[in-house]
Amino acid sequence: MFNKDNKSNKETVSVSRRSFLKGVMATSAVAVIGPSLLAPKMAQAATMADRAEWKLTGSHWGAFRAKIHGGKVTEIKAFEVDKFPTDMLNGIQGIIYNPSRVRYPMVRLDYYLKREKSDTTQRGDNRFVRVTWDQALDMFYEELERVQQTYGPSGLHAGQTGWNSTGSFHNCAAHMSRAIAMHGNSVKKVGDYSTGAGQTIMPYVLGSTEVYAPGTSWPLILDNSKTIILWATDPVKNLQVGWNCETHDGMGYMYELQKKVADKQIRVISVDPVKNKTQNFLGNEHRYIHPHTDVPFMLAVAHTMVKENLHDQKFLDTYALGFDKFLQYVQGETEDKVEKTPEWASPICGVPAEEIREFARLITNGRTQFLFGWSIQRQQHGEQPYWMGAVLASMIGQIGLPGGGISYGHHYSSIGVPSSGAAGPGAFPRNPDPGQKQRYDSSDYKGGSRTIPVARFVDAILEPGKVINANGAKITFPAIKMMIFSGCNPWHHHQDRNRMKTAFHKLETVVAIDYNWTATCRFADIVLPACTQYERNDLDIYGSYRAKGLLGMKKLVDPLFQSKTDFQIFTELTGRWGVSKQYSQGKTEMQWLEELYNEARTANQPKWDMPEFAEFWKEGYFPFGDGVNWTRHADFREDPEVHALGTPSGFIEIYSRKIARFNYKDCKGHPMWFEKAERSHGGPKSDKFPVWMQSCHPNKRLHSQMCESTTFRETYTVQGREPVYMNSKDAKKRGIKDGDIVRVFNDRGQLLAGAVVDDNYPENVIRIEEGAWYGPIGAEIGSLDTYGDPNTVTLDVGSSELAQATSANTCQVEFEKFKPGKEYGGKVPAVTSFGGPKEVI
Amino acid sequence: MKKIFAMIARFWRVFNKPSKHISLGIATCVAFLAGVIFWGGFNTALEATNTEAFCISCHSMRENNYQEIQGTIHWSNRSGVRATCPDCHVPHKWTDKIAAKARASKDVFGWLLGTVDTKEKFEEKRLELAQNEWARFKANGSLECRNCHDYKSMDFEKMSERARVQMRGAAERDQSCLDCHKGIAHHLPEMDTTAISQLGKMAQDLDGRSFDVGSEYYTLVQTPIYATDDATQDIGVLSPATKFKVIGEEDKRLEIELLTWHKAKGYGRVLYFDFAKNIVQATLTKEASQDESLFVRGEQKEDDLTGLPWEQVTFTVWVDKRGFEDNLQNIWDYAQVTYHSTCSVCHAQPDENHFDANTWPGMFAGMQGFVNLDGDTSALILKYLQNHSSDYNKAAH
Repeated sequence: MFNKDNKSNKETVSVSRRSFLKGVMATSAVAVIGPSLLAPKMAQAATMADRAEWKLTGSHWGAFRAKIHGGKVTEIKAFEVDKFPTDMLNGIQGIIYNPSRVRYPMVRLDYYLKREKSDTTQRGDNRFVRVTWDQALDMFYEELERVQQTYGPSGLHAGQTGWNSTGSFHNCAAHMSRAIAMHGNSVKKVGDYSTGAGQTIMPYVLGSTEVYAPGTSWPLILDNSKTIILWATDPVKNLQVGWNCETHDGMGYMYELQKKVADKQIRVISVDPVKNKTQNFLGNEHRYIHPHTDVPFMLAVAHTMVKENLHDQKFLDTYALGFDKFLQYVQGETEDKVEKTPEWASPICGVPAEEIREFARLITNGRTQFLFGWSIQRQQHGEQPYWMGAVLASMIGQIGLPGGGISYGHHYSSIGVPSSGAAGPGAFPRNPDPGQKQRYDSSDYKGGSRTIPVARFVDAILEPGKVINANGAKITFPAIKMMIFSGCNPWHHHQDRNRMKTAFHKLETVVAIDYNWTATCRFADIVLPACTQYERNDLDIYGSYRAKGLLGMKKLVDPLFQSKTDFQIFTELTGRWGVSKQYSQGKTEMQWLEELYNEARTANQPKWDMPEFAEFWKEGYFPFGDGVNWTRHADFREDPEVHALGTPSGFIEIYSRKIARFNYKDCKGHPMWFEKAERSHGGPKSDKFPVWMQSCHPNKRLHSQMCESTTFRETYTVQGREPVYMNSKDAKKRGIKDGDIVRVFNDRGQLLAGAVVDDNYPENVIRIEEGAWYGPIGAEIGSLDTYGDPNTVTLDVGSSELAQATSANTCQVEFEKFKPGKEYGGKVPAVTSFGGPKEVI
Repeated sequence: MKKIFAMIARFWRVFNKPSKHISLGIATCVAFLAGVIFWGGFNTALEATNTEAFCISCHSMRENNYQEIQGTIHWSNRSGVRATCPDCHVPHKWTDKIAAKARASKDVFGWLLGTVDTKEKFEEKRLELAQNEWARFKANGSLECRNCHDYKSMDFEKMSERARVQMRGAAERDQSCLDCHKGIAHHLPEMDTTAISQLGKMAQDLDGRSFDVGSEYYTLVQTPIYATDDATQDIGVLSPATKFKVIGEEDKRLEIELLTWHKAKGYGRVLYFDFAKNIVQATLTKEASQDESLFVRGEQKEDDLTGLPWEQVTFTVWVDKRGFEDNLQNIWDYAQVTYHSTCSVCHAQPDENHFDANTWPGMFAGMQGFVNLDGDTSALILKYLQNHSSDYNKAAH
């Protein structure tokens, strides 16, 4: 053994020296006589490892080069342009290769037998039958026909769309939307789960969604801010992912800020119940506040500012409307007739009155930048803290100044990194081409609305015909019978699983198109295997807001199993009614890419001299260079008349007559404190369920994407379960040790999760990150979730009659050490989330 | 193959061998001196080519470009500073200068071959020559202009209203000067329309049309307005898809009437389509908005939803005769197609009547950054959405 090893070692050494020398000579020779003469010879001499190919592609987690060997992705390296790659790149291989891949077209057992008359209470038992692509697509098409003929467009909801994968051409939502629209009309959504309340309220207040608006450039913030308030935001966690391929340039400024905090050049304060990842990274100060109580805290800060004359009355007079009406409320003259003093707020928000006053003095002393996160608008009355934040920023009077004012997006997709201003590629058309005739063109929604707030779709299924208020309109829920989900996982992002189960019992047909067997596939009838983004060619802008470059996304490997691109799937589906040519415009994948590329190339001329497509594709990347600093709302501050805000008045609306006229109970003319349906620290229902569960965006996933990536998941799970983070006192009180399996529950449901004891979390606050895959033991209502999906127990109510957005973060629970009883045979139930369906033959 | 390898390897060994006869020190010194002499001579020659005298030593330069600049402010002005040819056309950075010189050697060939030795030949080539220079300015952000004209040193307050609006925007985007200021030193070439927006093309197609006094027309692109028929006083700009009535016609201009509303607060510089609807028709200078000779006041009402006072105003102003559309639907059709194709890049675009006219600007402002729209088209799409919003289209949605 020893000798043999020794010999082979020697051989390796000599071979590598020879090949090294050959490499050197080849390089000089190639330079002199060109590559063609030498290439074949060199190829013969190459070792197996030399033969592996490296290909560049992108993802929500950033760009990377992948090593392809033996037809498989065997290694992943961050793209060298990315200075701060995320750890999550280690999860990419597991997205392609994992036991949850959707391998074949599958049909739910009872649906296979009885179609739309199937026993829908079996949904979720995960029993499926494998069918051929033709059978599956025929079935899909027949259902579209039946639903359009029987119910018309109100019977079909195909508008629930999510994050999907990156890439301009293969955007699954675009493919599904176009194909379905070519067949007929259907119910659509408005808003999204991430920012539903924020994007609805802010146009009334600051004149744009704000959450998706470009923000003041980081260099200006770092140069001008004296104080930065991180209000319920965790950029170090969230900057790891982006809507398009993420550059992670935003992280560079986090390092600069870290240094400025250490050098005491900028004072940074995190207002948050939890000491979050960013706070631990920056080493900044913590302003603890009870969950849900930002508004009382802010009202008391406003009260102090007025009392101590710290506010900028001139700014308010020039740029804002309705401060007087708001002030009457603060001073206890209107509404609840309670003066919003620090003493009033203190017991609600858990901050001593004097510290509230100090906070008011601090933020009005020098340039102060507010950076808000999205979590606090994903709660009941989530409109209020956002509106109130804008009021405080107006009172400070620094909106439109570099390093001052308020932002609602600096944690997202590197907002605040100066943009190059270059144009990205367009996309595959989401709508049928102009003049194209639909197979069914009926627009008769039978009294139902054609567009419903995204987070109210379960309400609509449960109570068709019900009329609700939403953003000034009356919405009548359409009678939905069929839903189509493509690259979208409502069984992760929607609230209250057991309520969802009840609703899904009422659906006749559910189609899911995905590459991994999510809980949405489990609750569907027809499941079609799409391939991953790593199994197709595409283009993407590098950095959504940054526009750092244009990225060619190379197909790494062929589609696994029987999966197909969405383009292929819908080309074949539209062929069922003879319009596949119109659908694809008769173009192949590469023809589309070339066309999209050329459009971007033209749009960028002559500022950027982009090469011909073929040359670009070979290189895979075209850099657009650095951007220019920019200050949000500077134009408005400069000239409020010509650069009026997009609000009804064109000014900042501290009081909105328009909202006031809607006469909503839970969103009135100015920001207000409303008690929640349930709240910790002495709030409603905290006697029975004392613990607030936050379900913020995950640190090691993009929502539910990458949860299926086995090896990477195992780096953070506890006994195979999703972590539940808790304070040591809370754990001790319940006899729980780090690493135990715990049961988290309330009246709505129950789940298992793995205890992580961590004093970054205060008492009566736990965190389970959203996106953990739902894995019920069975189809029945109330069934225990075996993995730890927080939405098993969250509250499914609209944020208010204004936005009707998700209220996932309004959620009280109790938890205990899990002791499996007789119903589980005395054993901890196995995790059922992963591994695909139970195939029945 | 093996032979080639051996040969290369041999060559490499010889080349790589240390010298036996000359010490390294001497070799370095000789090389250094040679370098100095070459460098000095080279730079002297290079500098000689950097003078105006050299540039106009060639016939076509002297007869065309050089004559043209003499009528411009870069030749003669009150401060007596003159920009000579190399100030604008030779990069100041050494590496770029060498690259420019290398490219310019082509001009010398052109001169030898007589490519542009007549006025006609020069005119034929003018567009191509101009485009080369434009591309260079675009690529370097008009660096040579900015050696003298720096955004940072501009006092926007000293500019006219219109210039201020434009320049401030340009400064924010760090825009290249030549984006707007083309043809300021030499005549503009005759251009085709490939570089302008689809809306610009639609306007161009209608260029030279006739107008009926008393009829109504619509703008396609942003259009400057003047106080008088001689267009001496620039008082603002009409936004795309703005309706006006022609009440008088001169050789080059139209006298028009704008029936609009403005906020009776501040200067009232923005003119709107309808009472309490933030649908922009025109933006005026401060002076024009206060000039009572330009407008007649009408009804005054308070907007209940904002508490702001509004006032109807009818302006009488002048515009250059351009391609104006008489059928608004043609404009809306274009806007609709563009909205449906462009605004679905990120998500399903909301129905036009999903929001009301005053909500659309807020929704639109947050999204517009993600799509490739020029200023005219972006203003038009917003206006299209507002005009087809729930305020004007009550169909269920």
